[in-house]
Amino acid sequence: MQDQRSNRAGKSLGGRTLAYVLMVIVTALWGAPILWMLVTSIKPESEIYAYPPAWMPDAPTLQAYAALFQRFPMLTWFRNSAVVGVLTTMLTLAVDALAAYPLARMQFPGRRVVMGVIFATFLLPYELLFVPLFLGLNSYGLVDSIFSLTVPASANAFGVFLLTQFFQAVPRELEDAAVMDGCSRFGFFWRILLPLTKPGLATVAIFTFVASWNNFFWPLIATNSDETRTLPVGLATLVGGAGMSMKQSVLMASAVVATLPTAIFFLALQRHFVRGIAATGIKG
Amino acid sequence: MTSVASRPAGRSMARRASAREGGPVRSGMTLVAYLFLSPYLALFIAFMLLPTLAAVGISFMRWDILGTPEFIGLDNYRQIFADPLFLTAIKNTFYFVFLTAIPMVVLGLALAMLLDQKLNGTAFVRTVVFLPYVVMVSTVGILWGWLFDKGTGLVNYYLTTIGIEPIAWLKDPHWSMPALAITTIWWTVNTNMIIFLAALQDIPEELHDAATLDGAGPWHRFVYITLPLLRPAMALVTALTIINGWRVFGQAYVMTQGGPEASTFVIVQYIYLTAFQNFEMGPAAAAGVVLLLITLVFSLAQMKLMKAI
Repeated sequence: MQDQRSNRAGKSLGGRTLAYVLMVIVTALWGAPILWMLVTSIKPESEIYAYPPAWMPDAPTLQAYAALFQRFPMLTWFRNSAVVGVLTTMLTLAVDALAAYPLARMQFPGRRVVMGVIFATFLLPYELLFVPLFLGLNSYGLVDSIFSLTVPASANAFGVFLLTQFFQAVPRELEDAAVMDGCSRFGFFWRILLPLTKPGLATVAIFTFVASWNNFFWPLIATNSDETRTLPVGLATLVGGAGMSMKQSVLMASAVVATLPTAIFFLALQRHFVRGIAATGIKG
Repeated sequence: MTSVASRPAGRSMARRASAREGGPVRSGMTLVAYLFLSPYLALFIAFMLLPTLAAVGISFMRWDILGTPEFIGLDNYRQIFADPLFLTAIKNTFYFVFLTAIPMVVLGLALAMLLDQKLNGTAFVRTVVFLPYVVMVSTVGILWGWLFDKGTGLVNYYLTTIGIEPIAWLKDPHWSMPALAITTIWWTVNTNMIIFLAALQDIPEELHDAATLDGAGPWHRFVYITLPLLRPAMALVTALTIINGWRVFGQAYVMTQGGPEASTFVIVQYIYLTAFQNFEMGPAAAAGVVLLLITLVFSLAQMKLMKAI
């Protein structure tokens, strides 16, 4: 990304120095909270509130992690989040890719209307939907189920929008040739279009998974037992509960555990994140 | 898409052109298209379109979890607008939008410009700034809840080293909302930065070179080249920042539970409280519709403003 750039602001030595000073400040401001979270999670009790605060623990320990997993159903929450994340991602990918294909590559009556309605939901504050969704799912006895956490979230406009752009970039000749060779539309979609647009599918998969992993408000409403509760909702019960004072090291350990999967995901596949956000600007 | 346009002209060129202009629809294609669309449309109608319409419907009804729904006109709206807590929530959410919108846009652009330069280490700094994106809101709240602690938090520690008296941040109604705003900026400014970065990289290098040859300094190049070409990105970033600002909830719920003295009680928390703790679905739906209308008005106003500039 940066290779093609020339040195706009930093031509002079002064400009360059200023840029580096600013970069150090930015790194400190954005990195310090994350680092503090890590450092605190491995501090023994006696060091947590040391004054002045120490960035290196004297006697690092994993006590806080042990306490966290002993006292809270972390593994259940973790498993729920993973199941919900994977199912939501698979369902979203399937449904969004199927929908994006005709929107990107076919002419049919109603196409503009369908696209307009789907993309208008970019501007919709989803919180509006939660009361009717809850009532509807409740009347079918589906609240507090994996269904309520996965299926309703799968009709998102982001995946359709992104995949439409990727699908449009595939040359028309390929499709014509495939059809002439007796390939059905679905055959072309499945055997040619999808393999050619793997980067787009990966971007959608990553975004959907991270959004699902971090989703808070809907699972807060739609779950009421540890059997279905996801990590964000479970973790929120660690704080704010009346009279519950949790050690900061345990809280920070919970933060590390919750962040680790998506952080690894992100560091491994960073360019997909960047491309996806740049294409739509939609978070989650 | 450019790859399509630059293919050598061929037999299918004409057909493609006619397809673009909405030319003759091949028979059977409509059915195929809707077959592909049907799973998405089914989910979309069931979980997006109908709930949206239902939300509007419920806002005109008396609807408790038990008992038969009953049409009551605008009573729910009268009720929430007579409720001081709802008015407080609107005021607080507006304050949050006010505190975050300008810094999120300006800082997002500033970070993008800083990290768009060809200097060693920009990729690393971009990663660091982007990392909070993958941190979930409960974790953000837990982490910053401690950083802002009056006695043991890092923020006050570093403030006292430069001679500022400790602030009770989350326990002080005057500072609780600014603390939430700072947390939110740290958490989400990276999205704006990435959009601006992508837009900056679309600006042809030659424009800057030519302007430099003509004697334009960095400031003039910024004002007369960069800013005008960033207008679409600016519009997108501003709209998203404002809409997401009105939707704030998780940070407030985890860090302050709406307090102290309801100083961080926001609209979405009002919906949550009304619907899922007091089980008054009608007024909660009405509050949701008000939220929708507010974000619509802000989006439209912002679009008008962007056109005018």
